[in-house]
Parts: sequence; structure tokens; C-alpha cells
Amino acid sequence: MSRSPLCKPWEHTLTRRQLLGAAAGTAGTIGLGGLGGLVQPAVAEEMKQKEKQVLFMWIDGGMSQLESWDPKPNTQFGGPFRAIPTSVPGVHISELLPRSAKQMHHLAIVRSMCTQDNSHSAGVGRIQRGDPKNRGVTYPYFGSAVAKLMGPCERKLPPYVWVKPGSSGFIHQDAGFLGPKYGALAFGDGKPPENLLRPDTVSEADDAARQKLREAANRRYGELRRPLANDANSYVYDMAQTLMRRSDLFDTSQYDPRDVQRYGTHDLGRHTLQGLKMLEAGVRFVKVNSYGWDTHGDNFNGHLSLMDKFDQAFSAVVEDLADRGMLDHVLVIAMSEFGRTPRINGHVGRDHWPEAWSIAMAGTGLKRGVVAGATNDKGTFVDTDEYDIGHMFHTWFRCLDIDAFKVEYDNGGQPLPIAHDDMQPITAVLA
Amino acid sequence: MPHRVRSLSYLRVLAFAGLVSGSPVLGSIAVAEELLHQRIDKLIAASAAGDLAARAEDGEFLRRVYLDLAGRIPSVAEARAFLDDMSADKRTTTIDRLLASEEYSTHMAEAFDVMLMERRGEHDEWMKFLQTSFAGNKPWDQLVREILAPDAENEAARGAAFFYTKRLERYGQQDDDMPGLVRDVGRLFLGVDVQCAQCHDHLFIDDYKQEHYQGLYAFVGNATIRTDQPFPAIAEKPLMKEVEFTSVFVQVPKSTGPRLPGGEEIELPLFKAGEEYEVPPDRKTNSPGVLKFSTLKILAEQLPRAENEFFNRNIANRLWWLMMGRGLVDPLDMQHSGNPPSHPELLDLLANQMAAHKFDIKWFLRELALTETYQRSGRLPAEGTVPPATSYRAALEKRMSAEQLLRSVLEATGESTRVREEKEGAPKFKDVADRFNKALANPPKEPELEFAPSVKGALFLSNDTLVLSLLERHEGNLVDRLIKLDEADAVAVELYLSVLTRRPNDEERADVREYLDQNGDRREAALGHLAWALLASTEFCVNH
Repeated sequence: MSRSPLCKPWEHTLTRRQLLGAAAGTAGTIGLGGLGGLVQPAVAEEMKQKEKQVLFMWIDGGMSQLESWDPKPNTQFGGPFRAIPTSVPGVHISELLPRSAKQMHHLAIVRSMCTQDNSHSAGVGRIQRGDPKNRGVTYPYFGSAVAKLMGPCERKLPPYVWVKPGSSGFIHQDAGFLGPKYGALAFGDGKPPENLLRPDTVSEADDAARQKLREAANRRYGELRRPLANDANSYVYDMAQTLMRRSDLFDTSQYDPRDVQRYGTHDLGRHTLQGLKMLEAGVRFVKVNSYGWDTHGDNFNGHLSLMDKFDQAFSAVVEDLADRGMLDHVLVIAMSEFGRTPRINGHVGRDHWPEAWSIAMAGTGLKRGVVAGATNDKGTFVDTDEYDIGHMFHTWFRCLDIDAFKVEYDNGGQPLPIAHDDMQPITAVLA
Repeated sequence: MPHRVRSLSYLRVLAFAGLVSGSPVLGSIAVAEELLHQRIDKLIAASAAGDLAARAEDGEFLRRVYLDLAGRIPSVAEARAFLDDMSADKRTTTIDRLLASEEYSTHMAEAFDVMLMERRGEHDEWMKFLQTSFAGNKPWDQLVREILAPDAENEAARGAAFFYTKRLERYGQQDDDMPGLVRDVGRLFLGVDVQCAQCHDHLFIDDYKQEHYQGLYAFVGNATIRTDQPFPAIAEKPLMKEVEFTSVFVQVPKSTGPRLPGGEEIELPLFKAGEEYEVPPDRKTNSPGVLKFSTLKILAEQLPRAENEFFNRNIANRLWWLMMGRGLVDPLDMQHSGNPPSHPELLDLLANQMAAHKFDIKWFLRELALTETYQRSGRLPAEGTVPPATSYRAALEKRMSAEQLLRSVLEATGESTRVREEKEGAPKFKDVADRFNKALANPPKEPELEFAPSVKGALFLSNDTLVLSLLERHEGNLVDRLIKLDEADAVAVELYLSVLTRRPNDEERADVREYLDQNGDRREAALGHLAWALLASTEFCVNH
């Protein structure tokens, strides 16, 4: 009985205000309830015009801040790697990020992350859900939150796509109380979803004709009916149609070989390049991820190999987004659930360290070429203001022009804040 | 005069209800003379606060009642026969015929499998247990008793242990799901979700205490999987001491013996070490032994019985949800004083009646199907106003399970026989079923309560070659029948009756004619498209 899959440890940190303010919310109101968002609130209408988008690079297991954005060479815990100068005078990052160093003038780094959970099981969820604390409901991951608050882009591609290693599927769990519709459409290894391709027996014209017949049938059915089921059913067919039209997104054989080399032929490189194509095609929120960063043993060789892949993919996509002018409307975030301990353990590894770590960002709403916050000389703790994940959610929502102090979720009548209500955006990185 | 007999026996049972449930006998004699379905309608009408939708048209009713009681839409022949039947009691006779059919037990077994296992996995012995239970109209209390204290010696019912074993299974790095098991015993049989009270009293629901979770845990916490049997089976270790727990908020150690929510704590007998067993376990024969004090047996005695209001209300509410599309208590597993039912008096009535009728599921479903509430149209009574779901003023749309969709697609396309009998060239039923489940069922542990269409499902129905093959011409199937009809109007009627259990209106007839005219040189393909469009439509994909 040591563990419960449903009642997460982070839900147990309560403030008095939240206890008093909490209503009898439950996670049970999903499905059609969640589809209320089909009719986007006014704020989403406004958002759509701007077509802001997100690329979220999730580094699963914990990237070491000391081997990346916050090196402390020649100190007690600094490890063997040097710091190198970047395209921004005075800013140094780890030598394991040589390509990203050249893109530093586009980046905004936060070096003073101080979060709560030092276990993966708690951290992965808590961080990506923005730690809303105990509201009696499971909060959405950032991608689901954006899918809900902003909806799909005009081109009607699914709003939340996850290009990931492993299997495909619809990761509805990400959506929490928002309802499964806002989950992630996951493309395992970037492969197309099952049944994406129209079989040869149905020509394009025939498909269009039968879809038109289907739409007519739905229109008739919808007269004098509750709208939700019919809207939802029409909506998933629209989305399926859009995806079918863009099946080229999954045809990686058409990619420029030079791009493939630049991003890297490894999973993260290929998936990030595909993520860029998804953004260009009009997906609202693209998540890519890299597994295997939990370097409790042999941290330095581990990071030597892992950081190279990350550096390749991250720098390439930032460079390309900047070249295409897309950084003006795309927010890029690269982060883990925590950093790694300054102390080097007996296995030459670093353990979990939520006390002082870094996040790298770029793009819309952010200053370019800045570093916010600092750790102490040894890199053990934060020396400046500490930022928790709630601060980051506020910051990102601000970048996306969503007012987190005004916009709320409506969980079947229960109003819920979209970001931690005791926290603020980090003005030091906001443009 | 079967009608009269029914109401007499009903009166006898009422008196029994007063004794059994300890609740006040329900109203005066005058009220008691009414049948349950009439009383339901009165209570719903009394609080409707707005126009009621019209009575569902025959086709709408027939489709709904077939889906709810037989798990599929009616065949075109069944639809025609019903629509052309002029007898006044045709709805009632249809309800009774469906309840008596073999398809009823198959459908109920599938519906309760989805409800109780929530897509955790499949097992033939479990399905056999459910199927025989519903075929024999096993009372719900007995069915639950067999689940809570599974008997490996009872071949017909031993599969019931799957409820435990699947949750206690370990695979890969996944530990057993004991918290999930405790939670599900509460959720599925009592309608209370005490999961959030595992480590402290529930934060927002005053009724849910940590004692409730821990008390339930004391009952089932010692269950383990038996690996010596080819069928699902469990063993039980003796409970030697009370379950000790501490709230993470109030650091005061507490303990409890087995205890149901709202029930008394059960005292633990003291046995000397080695004397806990009536029949000691035997490693040589792999016999798990027989405990003198089995908490599972006590759970099976105490939970499913008429004195347990949570138990009565839970099953009444779940069966109501199954037929009406929304629980009187919603969510289904959130029975507590802060979440009152939409119709408190009605839920009391249903729960008491369920107990009074000895948990006769078939009787209960029949009464629900006979209500005007059930037989109302899903078309809204007036333009511009959407009555609240809690009012039941218009029928609610219900999700069709992957199983219902599969059987309905086969029925609509006229492929049911060919696929079931695995005729040459036909896909195997199991293969088709697996594909439907993969594309349309929820992921494991996700209750299937509401219509929740997905892109995956849309792509499946649009492009899956097996689905599309059902719309190619095979002897006697829908497209074959349509192709043989010369008149576009006859095509439209046959098509709509087959797929949507109703005749087309003028506009729909005109559309069919126009599409066929445009595609005169490729009739088979055109008919396939027309049929596909209806199969993919909302009208087909929800139970309305």
C-alpha cells in the first residue's frame, strides 16, 4: 500500500486558501462535458488570429544543468567539462552545447528553477501540469491546456501532437479534467496514425463525395438535437480529413538530406525536424521528447553522448525557426522534470535535483539572448529569486497572450485557475 | 390478464420491502397499486419544469430498445415488421421478446464487462460467468457475492475471480493495483469512490473518511492470485490484526478492522499461530486451504444485501444510467451528501424496489423500458431551448460501445450472418471485433460513460479495409440488395431502414436519387458511398 496511482504526492501540499476555496470538483466530468470547449470562448477566437504555436522539447529523466545551461567549471561539483562563450557576450554555457551557443542570441535561459519533486513519478506529471496544487482534479499537461485554451490553428490540424519514440496512440491522460478530446495525438517514431491513408479502392473524389453525404446526414440529424454529440462527431471527422490531406507530414523520405544531417539521424533529431514540419503545417502544439537522461551512473559519459544529440536538434530548430521568421509566433521550450545533483555520487553519476536547475526557451513573447536568475558559485542552490513551475506556466501563457489572471477553466461549473494562483510570470525574460 | 397478476405480486413484494430495507413502506396503498414505470413517469413529470419531448416514433424507439436490450440495431426485416405492425402493445411485446433473447445475455455480459473491468483485459471464464449469469437472470446480489468471494470449485462461476486477479496481476515493472481494487469495490458496487481517502479523509467530500478506504482495504487486502490454476482464482491470507493507518494531515495512529462505508466494524477473532485455518493450505496439492475467518466471505455476505443502501442505490443508479444515459447520481461513483441525486425520491424508490424485487435485473430493466421517460424522443421539444440533461425531458444520447457498434455495423451492412458463420471469404468475427475494440474502445481503466468520438475512430471507419469490405457487394448483403432495386426511391427506403431503422424523408430520398443519377455507370460504388455516409453519421454512431 505504499503507492497510489491516483492520489499523487504533489496533490498533498495545500495552502489554506486553496483548501477554503476548493469546491467539490471531481475528475469524473469528462467526455461530452469536456466538449463544451468546442465552442471556443472569445479569448480563443482572439488567439486564433495570431496563430501562436508551441514547440515543447521534453528531456525525460533530468538533464544536468551543470552539463548544459549553467556550467560551473573548476568548482567542487563542476565536473570535467568546460564552459564556452556564446553569441551573447558574457554568457557562457557548457561546451557540450557548441551549436546552441551560436544560437544564444535567440534564447532565454532561466537558471533559477527551484521545484518540489525529486522523483520522476511525481515530477514528470507535476511539472508538465504546472503544479496547480490540490484542486481535487487532475490538471492538464501544458499541451492539453494550450489545446483547450487556443484550439486548433486555422488549418484544423489536431491542436496537440506528440512525436515520440515508441508507440502511437491518443494520450488522453494528458488532458486531465479537460476531457479526453484535449489529449495528445501521438505519432510513435513519427509514423502516421493507423488508417491515415485512404485505400486505393476509394478515390479522392469518391472520398470527398461520401464525406459530403455524411455531412448532410449530420446536418439533418442535428436539427432539434442537443448539439454536443453531433458537433463532436463532425469535429473528429474534420480533423481526420485534415490529417489525411497532410499525410505528406509523415513521409520523411521527402525531407532534404542536408536537414536530416543537421538535425541528426537519431530519434530526437528526426522527431524535431518532423515537429518543425508539423508547426509549419499548422499544428498548434508540438511535443517531442528524448528519453534516457536519468544518469545516476556515469553521468559525464552519458551527457557527452546525450547532449550532442540534444544540441544538434535544438540548435537546428531554433536556427530554422529564426530564419523563417517563425520565432515571432512560435514559443520553444526545452526542459526536464528537474536537474541533477551537484554532488557526484559513487557511481560517477548525478541524482535528482529539483533545488536549482535550468530551462531554455526561445521565441514569441520572450527577450532574446537573456539569462534570468543565478545559482551560487557551486551551483548547489539558487542565489536569486526562485522560480517554480507555476511561474513558468504564467510566463508561457503570457507569451501566448493568454491572461492567466483572467482566463479560467470551467470544470462543470467549478472555476479553476489555469496557472498557479500564488505565482507570477517571470518579467526578466518577457519581451 | 397478466397485467393484473403482476400488480398483485407487486403488492406482496412491497410489504416485503418494508421489512427488508427498514425504510418506510412506500406511500399509501393507492400509490402502491401503480406499477413502477408509472410511478417513475409521475416523478419525472413532476419536476420536469418544461415541455416534454414527444413520444419517440416507432423507428426511434425500436432502434433504442434493440441497442439497449440486444446490443445491436434491428435488422431491416425486424424494422419493417415492427413499423408495419398495427397492434397497440407492440412496444411491450418487443421489450419482452428482447429480454428473453439470447442476445440480451450476450449484450448484458458485454456491458457489465466494460463496466466492471473497464477494458483491463479479457478472459473467457469471466465472460462465461457473466453470460450464464445474465442468461439465468441471476439476481445482482448473488452475482456480486460470487465476484467478491469467488469459489474455485464452482465451475460456472469461478471466472468471477477475474475481477480480483486482473487487478492484482503484476506485469513488467507494474506492481499489483491493490489501491485500484479497493477503489473499484467501492466505486462499482457501492457507488462511492474512496480512493482520495486512502491517505487522509477526503478533502472535499465530507462523507468519505480514511476509515472507509482502510475498512474496505481490510476486507480485500489479503487476497492474492493463485497461480496453480488455469482459470482466474485467488487465495486469501489470514487477517491477523487490524489495518493501521495515519492521516498525512493529522499524525494520529488509527486502526480498523474490516468495515463497510456506513457499516459496523467487524471484530477480528484471535487465533493462535497455526490455528487460523479450518483446512490448512497444502503445498503439495497447491490447495490454498480454508480460513476460519475469511474477510472476503464476510465482504460477500455483508456488501451485497438489501440492508445496504449504498448497494441498492448503486445498482439502481447504474441500470438507470444504462437505459437513460445519465445517472440520477452523476458521476455514478460519487454518491455522497454533497452530490445529491437529481431526483432523490425517485432514486429511493428505485433502490427500494430493486431490493424488494430481490435484485431482479430483468424486471428492473423492463420497468425502465416501459416508462414514457425511456420512450420519449431525443428531438428537443422546442427550438432554441436545450432542456437540462437532469430533467429527462428529451431522451439523452448514449455512447455505443465498440461491441454495439460492431454488431450494428454488421447488421446494417447485412453482413452479420456471413461474418458470424465465417462463410468463405468473410472476415472472422473475432478479427473484426478486435479491430473495432482497438479503434473505438477506451484505454484500460477509463470508464466508458459518455460518447467520446476520436480521430482514431473516424480514420478507422473511413479507411479500414475490413470495414470498407463490408460495403462491397456480397450475396445477400446490403449493397447486393440495393443493387437489385431499380427505383431510387426503393433504394432509399431499403438503405435507411437497414442502417437507421427509419424511412427516409423527401429530402433524403431526393439526395439518394441525385447521387445515383450522377453515378449511373458505377452503381455498386455509389451505393457503398451512400451506405458509408450513413454508417459514419452521428445518427448511426450514437444510441439516441
